[in-house]
Amino acid sequence: MENSKPKLNLAVYWAAACGGCCVSVLDVHEKLFDVVAAANLVFWPIALDVKYSDVEAMPDGFIDVTLFNGAVRNTENEHMARLLRKKSKVLVAYGSCAHLGGIPGLANLSTREEIFKRVYDECESTVNPDQLRPLTVSSVGEGSLTLPEFYNDVRSLGQVTAVDYYLPGCPPQTERLLEVFMAIVSGASLPPAGSVIGASGKAQCDECTRLKSENKQISRFLRPYEIYDDGITCFLEQGVICLGPATRAGCGVRCVKGNAPCRGCYGPLEDVKDPGSRMMSAISSVIDAREAEEIEKIVENLVDPAGTFYRFSIPSAMIRRKVL
Amino acid sequence: MENCRTGVYICMCGTNIAKVIDVEAVREFVSGLPDVMLVRTYKYMCSNPGQEMIVQDIRENNLNRIVVAACSPCMHERTFRSALRKAGINQYLFEMANIREQCSWVHHDQQDATEKAMALTQAAIRRVALHEPLENLSVDMSPATLVIGGGIAGMTAALELAEAGYPVYLVEKTGRLGGNLARVDLTAPYLYSAQDLINERIFRINDNNHIYLHLNSKVTELSGFVGNYTATIETIPVENGHKKEEVKVGNVIVCTGYKEFDASRITHYGYGKLPNVVTSFELETMIRSGKIETREGRIPRYIAIIHCVGSRSLEFHGYCSRVCCMTALKYAHEVKSAIPSCYVSDIYVDMHAFGKGHEDFYRRSSEAKTLFLMYNKNDRPVIRRADEKDDCQMLIEVNECLSGETIEIPADLIVLMVGMEAREDASEVAHLVNISQDKEGWFIESHPKLEPVATTTDGIFIAGTCVAPKDIPDTVAQARATAARILAKVSQGKIEVDALYSEINKEICSGCRLCNKLCPFSAIEFNEKEAYSEVISALCKACGVCVAACPSSAIKGRHFTDAQVMAQLDGLLSPVKYQIEAVTS
Ligand SMILES: Cc1cc2nc3c(=O)[nH]c(=O)nc-3n(C[C@H](O)[C@H](O)[C@H](O)COP(=O)(O)OP(=O)(O)OC[C@H]3O[C@@H](n4cnc5c(N)ncnc54)[C@H](O)[C@@H]3O)c2cc1C
Ligand code: SF4
Ligand code: SF4
Ligand code: SF4
Ligand code: SF4
Ligand code: SF4
Repeated sequence: MENSKPKLNLAVYWAAACGGCCVSVLDVHEKLFDVVAAANLVFWPIALDVKYSDVEAMPDGFIDVTLFNGAVRNTENEHMARLLRKKSKVLVAYGSCAHLGGIPGLANLSTREEIFKRVYDECESTVNPDQLRPLTVSSVGEGSLTLPEFYNDVRSLGQVTAVDYYLPGCPPQTERLLEVFMAIVSGASLPPAGSVIGASGKAQCDECTRLKSENKQISRFLRPYEIYDDGITCFLEQGVICLGPATRAGCGVRCVKGNAPCRGCYGPLEDVKDPGSRMMSAISSVIDAREAEEIEKIVENLVDPAGTFYRFSIPSAMIRRKVL
Repeated sequence: MENCRTGVYICMCGTNIAKVIDVEAVREFVSGLPDVMLVRTYKYMCSNPGQEMIVQDIRENNLNRIVVAACSPCMHERTFRSALRKAGINQYLFEMANIREQCSWVHHDQQDATEKAMALTQAAIRRVALHEPLENLSVDMSPATLVIGGGIAGMTAALELAEAGYPVYLVEKTGRLGGNLARVDLTAPYLYSAQDLINERIFRINDNNHIYLHLNSKVTELSGFVGNYTATIETIPVENGHKKEEVKVGNVIVCTGYKEFDASRITHYGYGKLPNVVTSFELETMIRSGKIETREGRIPRYIAIIHCVGSRSLEFHGYCSRVCCMTALKYAHEVKSAIPSCYVSDIYVDMHAFGKGHEDFYRRSSEAKTLFLMYNKNDRPVIRRADEKDDCQMLIEVNECLSGETIEIPADLIVLMVGMEAREDASEVAHLVNISQDKEGWFIESHPKLEPVATTTDGIFIAGTCVAPKDIPDTVAQARATAARILAKVSQGKIEVDALYSEINKEICSGCRLCNKLCPFSAIEFNEKEAYSEVISALCKACGVCVAACPSSAIKGRHFTDAQVMAQLDGLLSPVKYQIEAVTS
């Protein structure tokens, strides 16, 4: 079964990420054989021992497709983002962190100094009487050692270099990856550069089978453990914030199917400029109160609004970070 | 997109704008901006020559976008849009920058004001580049009108429309026409018989085959939009069963009137406890039956009339009920002619004799030997039972303002001039026809001075005392005004609706239903079968509520797209610089 087409060169890289995206690639299970049949894996730090210097030695455009997961948090991430851009024909921002900044992006609610203080001084398990901090260069007997520089801001891949496609999800649904990969392999006509692929043009509610009525008024915000979920009624109608209506479908509504509200990892719809404020605007429209004090009282029991509405999107949202 | 060729006009508004803003500097600044082909300053843009200038420039210079930096769009947007139409380009390719109300009128500093005018104009120029040509909607106008309430207001409006040949459904919840006026005897100030006024109208109504009269009925549902409403009329289920009918109407007039203030709420007047303390309406009944007497059947020798019962008091209603003063004077007349020997005292706060013929009526009444006593509205007269030895039933203690003395006056019968208040079901009616009420429950007009009978819902009009207390002439004038407004519309057969409405993109809408109940004009419907939401464009007022709420950005406000608003913001926030030139002599 020799392929008539030459094999594609495929790379997978992780930057500021949890590792889940790389694991999700492995989730293709036996389909991995199809992938390997169609592609040479030329770079994949989690699975192959290929050095950065090997990548640097590759001619420009040598890699056909790079799946880049993770956000850009330090100089190493940025260097690799630019390098892989140069070496790849198609650069795919794979997963929520590369797409929007993701969970690491929540760190934009703190400054670098606050993060260092917490981690190197205050953390309950830290013993650091000399108040050491990571240095980008330190001299030791054998010479000097370097560490990447930790930026103040987390950025998405698209904020650092040009991205051809965004494949959203935390992590992306494996079927979507296969579909996209096979489309690239087969040379099927691909959408214009910059598009979101492997996701729907409509929100989760379109695929969600929970019963939806027009009655979306919320008089108290509840967290999932505070309700007896009946398993069939829309979460919003039970007072639990579900980001489904502001989030692209594509994952198969996997959270709601698992009886948890959607967190929004598939990102905003095409025309949405700022996903968090969009959803906040939607939710504030259905708060069931008229008087200011009443509204305040209801809003007070919303735990962690920034984390709720911008869980995956702070770096790419209009606000980008906490300023004060 | 075609190339923008924008014409910009900076108005001086006489000196209204020019005295604070350096309009020439704005012109110079604007001339250098992208897309701008031509900039002019002019003394009065809204004048005929001003408009003509725009028309001319469009034709001669092939302009395809127009910005006028002048007053508020509320003032003249329509004026300038019509200039664009006249010149043959789409009227929506136009934007106004408000450099008067939002700039020259609120700033004194020339430097700041001029820079702000530059920014506002720049914002308008950026925005107009993204404007799209839009076409107004034309929808059918049903010729029929629904009139709710058969008082003098409802009857008058119904006749006006029916006599012009258009069908009217007149719905009255009681078993007879006439409303509160049917409870009145003579009317102030000319002492016409109320019964005559009403009967003549009832006769004409019964005689007119364009009027479909529904007595003992209520409107229970209203759906649709201007020109195309569907109303459900149901009989109030009492005798002869229950009937329900659906009718199509183009417009609705609400004439549901008022109810009288419940006098027993002012406990110390003793209404309901003291047998001979009565309300104005009860006195009307006595006068009409021809017998003014006490509960015990005696002819009263002393009658006292107390004004402002429930009105002009912060405790009850802050407003003046407008008809009670003149009605009280009318009682003085009627009592005097029925019982010439009776002493009438009139205890008032201020004598409000504001209407035509009222002051004259007051003068004539003072000549009719009525004792006028003025009380302070925060210091109400006190009523008590008289002793055996007194020759009257009750005594009223008044701290008389003009003399500064406390005066005690006798009374066998006390008449409380109860004010008007909104009916208890007014909020139900407001909800039914989708209009608003003020804090006292009266219906709100769309502009208190310029649009007194229209409401914020197209095709819904209000007339008479459901809007605020008023006398018969004012009620009738409003009723006729509503009819005139409606006749002007129905005679066209079609109606034009602004092109500004929201649209839901079916390809994006997920059917989450978050927007479904948000529209204040009930313009959003959910398509159950295909699970997406739709905006009924003729109903939409482009308020933007749903646009802001849709978490998928599936709803677009035409003429208020994100891109347009963002471009405007960009223009507003881009740097502008103005250097005041040294004055040269
Ligand atoms: C004691 C007194 C004396 C007055 N004397 C004078 C005077 O001398 N001169 C003068 O100019 N003015 C006088 N007025 C004022 C006069 O009564 C009003 O100006 C006039 O009656 C207002 O008419 P209207 O049609 O607005 O309201 P209304 O007379 O209140 O008529 C409203 C009608 O609507 C009906 N209705 C209400 N709700 C509904 C519903 N949901 N569905 C269907 N039908 C409904 C009611 O049953 C009623 O028939 C007097 C007022 C008072 C209180
Ligand atoms: S809001 Fe959540 S639970 Fe409700 S329909 Fe949408 S995805 Fe399903
Ligand atoms: S339901 Fe929402 S949070 Fe869960 S996987 Fe899908 S998009 Fe992500
Ligand atoms: S267009 Fe407006 S600003 Fe200009 S003269 Fe007329 S009213 Fe004044
Ligand atoms: S809020 Fe938006 S997505 Fe949801 S039903 Fe309305 S239009 Fe559709
Ligand atoms: S814009 Fe306002 S009026 Fe129009 S459909 Fe939306 S909510 Fe209703």
